[in-house]
Amino acid sequence: MELALQAAVNGGLLGVFFALMAIGFTLIFGVMGVANLAHGELYMIGAYVVWLTYTQGIMPFPLAVIVGVAVVIGIGLAIERGLFRPMRGNPMMGLIASIGMIFILQVFVATTWHVGLMKHIPPYIRGSLEVFGASASLQRLMVIPVAASLLGGLWFFLRRVRQGRALRAVAQDPEVASLQGVSIDRTALIAMAIAAGLAGTAGGLMAPIMRVDPYMGHSAIITALMVTIVGGMGNIEGALLASFIYGFLISFVTTYVDGLMATIAGVLLMFVVLVVRPRGLLGRA
Amino acid sequence: MNKKMLRAIIPISLVVALAVGVPLLSGCLPAPPPEAPPEAPPEAPPEAPPEAPPEAPPEAPKVVTAKIGFNAPLSGPVAGWGLPGLYGVEIWAEHFNAAGGITLTDGTQVLVEIVPYDNEYSAEKALAGARKLVLVDKVVMVQHMGGDEAMACTPFYTEQQMLSTTLVAGDITPETPYHLAPIEIWNFYGVTGFEWLAENRPELKTVALTAQTDVLGHQFMAAGEAAAKAAGIEVVYRKLYDAEAVDFTPVMSDLIAAGADCIAFYAYPGISTLMMVAAYDLGYEGLIHQITFDLLPDVIEKTSVEFMEGHISLYPDFDDPALNPSLNPYATIEPIDFWNEYNAKYPGTWTAVSWEYQAIMDVWKQGVILADSIEPMKVYEALKAAPTMYNTFGEGTWWGKPLWGMDNALVGKWPVVEVKDGKNGIVGWVSLLDWWERNGETMIAECEEYGVMWYQFMGLTREEAIVQYPEAFK
Repeated sequence: MELALQAAVNGGLLGVFFALMAIGFTLIFGVMGVANLAHGELYMIGAYVVWLTYTQGIMPFPLAVIVGVAVVIGIGLAIERGLFRPMRGNPMMGLIASIGMIFILQVFVATTWHVGLMKHIPPYIRGSLEVFGASASLQRLMVIPVAASLLGGLWFFLRRVRQGRALRAVAQDPEVASLQGVSIDRTALIAMAIAAGLAGTAGGLMAPIMRVDPYMGHSAIITALMVTIVGGMGNIEGALLASFIYGFLISFVTTYVDGLMATIAGVLLMFVVLVVRPRGLLGRA
Repeated sequence: MNKKMLRAIIPISLVVALAVGVPLLSGCLPAPPPEAPPEAPPEAPPEAPPEAPPEAPPEAPKVVTAKIGFNAPLSGPVAGWGLPGLYGVEIWAEHFNAAGGITLTDGTQVLVEIVPYDNEYSAEKALAGARKLVLVDKVVMVQHMGGDEAMACTPFYTEQQMLSTTLVAGDITPETPYHLAPIEIWNFYGVTGFEWLAENRPELKTVALTAQTDVLGHQFMAAGEAAAKAAGIEVVYRKLYDAEAVDFTPVMSDLIAAGADCIAFYAYPGISTLMMVAAYDLGYEGLIHQITFDLLPDVIEKTSVEFMEGHISLYPDFDDPALNPSLNPYATIEPIDFWNEYNAKYPGTWTAVSWEYQAIMDVWKQGVILADSIEPMKVYEALKAAPTMYNTFGEGTWWGKPLWGMDNALVGKWPVVEVKDGKNGIVGWVSLLDWWERNGETMIAECEEYGVMWYQFMGLTREEAIVQYPEAFK
């Protein structure tokens, strides 16, 4: 029972991390029609900025994360403006461009700060909390209120703020939204900024507890892709639901079977969803 | 072609050009050293010979640079067992050259140059590196980390009659006659921790084992099972984990939930840190036995001095009094001097391998002195024929047929290390050959169970191997 509870806690925390990654990825796809495979590298950049600023003693951890988010947003906006906008309407070209950005960002980071040993980032908060026999580190638990605030704010933005509703309109039908006076260019920039900000937040907050190297985005984007497919391409609520499904799946299968089977289970789940319900759990037909 | 397509083509072309060109150019550039090592001190010019009579002008002494290949992972998840070793061996080379190298009996001065190649722990890249180092760079020896990357290269080295070394004695088979394990004899020495625990912590009755799903992980499990059995410690948990996992907390949760008196796990550097942190976060209070506590200061910073107190590993810090003065009369640098210089130049990067590759160079040095040559096969034959051999832990014997089919591993004693007040300290030594006398059959049985005996790597059963390689069983 205790192990099951621990697995549930682990799964929940993993789900929060997946949500930060996957919702941004889903947002870009929904609004811009592009599968931005470089999303994992935005997460990586967020972690590296924290390594550069916090570990070297330049600024405290919270400020380092904020700076990391700002840097990643800047890079995201540059990518949207320089790459995705000229290819709007052509998802394949956008995909190819994003693959190119993967290489550019990885090689830049690897060349500038070298590959080799993982970057060491000390935790901001030490210690753990035990509840009913299940433990979680305070550094991990810190991600929950931040993620909840960001995702809650995103929900409010999309539902209650005019520009957010415009974003949803563009995701549903860009042509009709444009006829209604919505600026597609500005909406895409906002979507990219939000998505990049979420990825940068994930990278920055998780940096002390994840491996930090130029290729750390690889496993993150694979999971984000699977979560997005299972939740429904372009559906934020679906991505949120699927994030926690994946978090619990990976945690429980790793705990009770092994890690390799957990990876296989994740892929199998995606396969089953694609066959049975191709639009995803909450995707619209 | 309309304007819209043109607008799309130009940025697409730019991205494709960048995506292809940047990695290509990066690959074309000489691989930058992760941190530029300091320049080697200028070579001491040979002394000018005394003036000879005008009829017989003197010959200038010959200086030869022996190139040593370093074919190991310098990037990627296993970089922690390659890159720090490169740092260490380059320090060795500086000291060796500064001391004038070795002078052969014909007056030839031998200096050393290390030629690194990053194989990223990929078999294909390692083989490409092997070809480059041997055929282009004309090295006289190639150092490897071992495992999959080295096993891909040994047939080539055998064909080329090239001397090579490994940290993983499990690479050795009867088909790899020139592949030596002069220092680390993985996975055999992995038994020493349990031997020490049985004597010094008799209250420990159970252990939980885990390792990553690669050949090194399987070798750890085999040695762990054999050692625990020999020590009378029951293995209550045995499972392999995926080293590509995003989060290792579920792995550690399961391991700890087994309720063993001791958890023993094996992980690449960095991942090992994440797993230790997970154990700390989960409130684990029992004993941890690892092969090595790589990057110990990082682990302590992420956990605490108190958490790490009393845990056991097999890799000492080189300022340990038990290692100083050096147990190897051929040592180029005293261990404490090496430790101080390494940590001054490369702070925060000390792992298990930081000293090993440079220690192998001291064994090579013995071979060159004995052979009076740097020719690979002459050095190899001199090493194998030497009546007494030394490495960092003292005297050793060429051994290995029972486990690897060839006596190509230098086996002696191995230390057991305990963390006290945040520092590694040697608390005991175990004679590996004594252990083998008592428990060799158990080790073979467990290695067979995990598929890591040399004949299994060659796709043979033990019976088939006895027929095809009878010498290996004598």
